[in-house]
Amino acid sequence: MNLGPAVFSGVVLLVGLVYGGMALRMPRGSLAYPGPGLFPLAVGALLVATSLGCLAQELRAWRRGRSAAPAPPSAAPEAAPERDRARTVALTALLAGYVLLLKTLGFPLAICAFLAAAIRIFGYRRWAVTLAVALLVTACSYVAFVHWLKVPLPMGLLEDILG
Amino acid sequence: MDLASGLLHGFSVALTPMNLLFGFMGAVIGTIVGILPGLGPLGTMALLLSLTYGFDPTAGMILFAGIYFGAMYGGSTTSILLNIPGEAASVVTVIEGYQMARRGRAGAALAVAAVGSFVAGTISLVGLSFLAPTLAGAALRFGPAEYLAVALVGLVIMSRLTGGSLMRSLMMISIGLALGTVGMETVAGYMRYTFKQPLLAQGIDFLPVAMGLFGISEVLITAEEPVGKAQLQKVRFRELWPTAVEWHRSFWPMLRGSVIGFFVGLIPGPSPVISTMVSYSVEKRLDKHGEFGRGAIEGVAGPEAANNASVGAAYIPLMALGIPFTPAMAVVMAVLLIHGINPGPLLMTEKPDLFWGVIASMYIGNFMLVVFNLPLVGVFANIIRTPLWLLMPIVLLLCLVGVYSVNNSMLDLWLMVGFGLLGYLLRRLRYDLAPLVLALVLGPMMERSFREAMMIGRGDLTVFVRRPISAAILAVGLAVLVLPTLIARARRLLRRAPAT
Repeated sequence: MNLGPAVFSGVVLLVGLVYGGMALRMPRGSLAYPGPGLFPLAVGALLVATSLGCLAQELRAWRRGRSAAPAPPSAAPEAAPERDRARTVALTALLAGYVLLLKTLGFPLAICAFLAAAIRIFGYRRWAVTLAVALLVTACSYVAFVHWLKVPLPMGLLEDILG
Repeated sequence: MDLASGLLHGFSVALTPMNLLFGFMGAVIGTIVGILPGLGPLGTMALLLSLTYGFDPTAGMILFAGIYFGAMYGGSTTSILLNIPGEAASVVTVIEGYQMARRGRAGAALAVAAVGSFVAGTISLVGLSFLAPTLAGAALRFGPAEYLAVALVGLVIMSRLTGGSLMRSLMMISIGLALGTVGMETVAGYMRYTFKQPLLAQGIDFLPVAMGLFGISEVLITAEEPVGKAQLQKVRFRELWPTAVEWHRSFWPMLRGSVIGFFVGLIPGPSPVISTMVSYSVEKRLDKHGEFGRGAIEGVAGPEAANNASVGAAYIPLMALGIPFTPAMAVVMAVLLIHGINPGPLLMTEKPDLFWGVIASMYIGNFMLVVFNLPLVGVFANIIRTPLWLLMPIVLLLCLVGVYSVNNSMLDLWLMVGFGLLGYLLRRLRYDLAPLVLALVLGPMMERSFREAMMIGRGDLTVFVRRPISAAILAVGLAVLVLPTLIARARRLLRRAPAT
């Protein structure tokens, strides 16, 4: 069985059940005067039905795979492209860290640290250039967004200086 | 306002210095993102959506039209010179375009792609100018039943066309519909799925979802891929002019591609990609030279014309009905919604500046694109050398600042990061994101139309089939949903019959 899609379909099934259960507690009205719960109830049913359908498809594919003759030992498996998953994990953590620290550190400090870390994650190794680019892009974005476009970005620790 | 006076008025709007500047900026940005593999027009429009908040809506629409058209032009450059599609709609161009480049005909391939794009863009814009007002006039007779039918059938057709399993597409649609129900319900003010979070009362905004699913997930996917060095084929300016034979061989493929692209563009789904595939297979079937696979110029001219024609056509359902049939059009619709403008049949009469201004600006943008894409192709091609370590952090910065700037909301930031991760997972699991996004946009409209239709019909469900337009639209949807399965089963039965 292709585990990823099966797990995802299972999660959607669970969400669909909870979602539909919550819709049941909303006023449904009548067909002539539909209430706020009627459409979500139909959507909940669709979520459950389609996720069950996807799960069934995955199961059928798994059974077909099991009953098929095993591949000859000489057949080399297709080489999957090498992917650097660590970068994705690091970038996701970095994004979450930025959102967490934005209010406390303020936009200039948070985005400068974010940019420097992101440049490193994308494989650039020279610290001096990394810091120079991070500082320059931070300064440009500060002028563009805060001064020109008047986006009220949080200033955090620098509130007294820049606020 | 008739067509001629509408277009004249449109040109008077589009030719103001500010709108010309936005058209030019859109064309340049579009060409650049078309050239850069990994960053497509949809992701870019999602990134820039928040910035349009500060612009005039006409300028925002002109900017996005330039980006969408420009990306179609730019995508061919990378395909031909690098053997890498700059964006999804240029995948087919790689096959013949790169082979032409290897034979020393890169310049001719680029010129035919640019001229074909211009011809097709112009043909589709003429179609848009004629068809959008006509359809908008007809749509004035649409009631809630018809709107529900169009949206429903649009989603059904999309689920059939996006490739992969129908059940998977339907699951994506149901997730999008479910997300669209979060927030305060508009009729009775009832809170649904807000978990007592006041910030969720306004619902899940389209912007963080689109930026997460298309912007952030794109960066996460790009971050994983192995980095290779780009080997650009050099093109000299004097090599850009195709020979008389090449022009002759490209003429009909360009026209056929334009017609195919225009009609495919009217259908819900990833029309630029599908139109190139249809055009390529048509040209391959009509091939008289036996060159396909070894650098046939027809395989560049047809598909490159088709993807541009589909872009112009994709605007028709949005401008005339207010219903986006592609995720890119959903982002374009968001530009209007941000400014409190509801696209639909009344847009032409209530906002003529916007309606005709945008159409006229597309003519101008299309002309600008062919003028600077041909001589500057070498300059644009060099953009591919921009290192990812510089480009991707800047893209992330634009996402982070852009999504915050609309509502100054930390919740939007969290939603964007969350949907970015979800988008990454779904793409890795080979789910199509387009049905989810369209369902999120169309869901609230579908619920509103359903409730209104039921109230008008006093609870009688046959209201959807008693009205002829709605019944006809629903019949098309049913046929699209059921016929392919029935035909496949009938074929299987016929195949088994002689054996038994």
